[in-house]
Amino acid sequence: MEPELLLGLAILIIGAVAAAFPRPKTYLSRIIVLEIPAWGLLLMMLAYDEALALLTFIAVTAISTFVMVRVVERRGEP
Amino acid sequence: MSYEIALPVVLVAVAIAFIALMIEKDDLHRLLLTDLAEITGLAIIALVATDLAEALILPGLVVGISELMALSEVYLVKEGLTETPKRVMHLEVMDSAPAILGGVLVIYGIVLSGFSGGAVAGLGLLFWFFCKGHDEAFEIIETASGYSWALWIAAFFIFMLAPQYWLFAVMAAGGGILLKVMAKMALVGTMRGGRDV
Repeated sequence: MEPELLLGLAILIIGAVAAAFPRPKTYLSRIIVLEIPAWGLLLMMLAYDEALALLTFIAVTAISTFVMVRVVERRGEP
Repeated sequence: MSYEIALPVVLVAVAIAFIALMIEKDDLHRLLLTDLAEITGLAIIALVATDLAEALILPGLVVGISELMALSEVYLVKEGLTETPKRVMHLEVMDSAPAILGGVLVIYGIVLSGFSGGAVAGLGLLFWFFCKGHDEAFEIIETASGYSWALWIAAFFIFMLAPQYWLFAVMAAGGGILLKVMAKMALVGTMRGGRDV
């Protein structure tokens, strides 16, 4: 197994746990923690040479973060 | 060999995401968790490797982002949060960066041309509208978008009827799709609301 794949799997699991149960349970902290499993997925895509999917995922993550911040901004801080 | 080891690990991550989705009561937290479910789901497809995985991931990403946009709109309407917020997020970098970063992205996108160039240039415009606000006339952008689409279609007719002018058709199609994608992506930058939307 490639080191990228091993690291990606580890980060995916850690990130999934962290995003599922974020410690200060606010919307903003959950949005930030969601970047961790995304990094794991990026490393897995890197291990399998899926360049096009990787680049598109980066672009889509930027837009989806923007959409989520917009909703949280209108909702107000809980 | 690596597939047999990696698949159970990813399935555990999927299980964690869906358990959290089940436990969660707050609607907005659930909306954020659907993003986690999407990431772990895409990881299963990424394990397939080869070009098949890419072909499956790309439409998955597009559907995912449009689903997130639609669900966020539904949530805002359901909670009655349709008016613009009084205190919007504002950072120092949003005053200084857009002119340089937006300009570089737009110029680089025009050099690239085609679909990816349109996406890059559109990102520059999106960033500009997002940071600087948008009192620009959107009718002009929409008109340019319509003409560029017509240019794109015309280029395809040139390909079919007069193939010897293929270079002209390639240039027309590349320029047309550049303008089209740029105009559509720039609209995302106006989602914070404003006078002309």
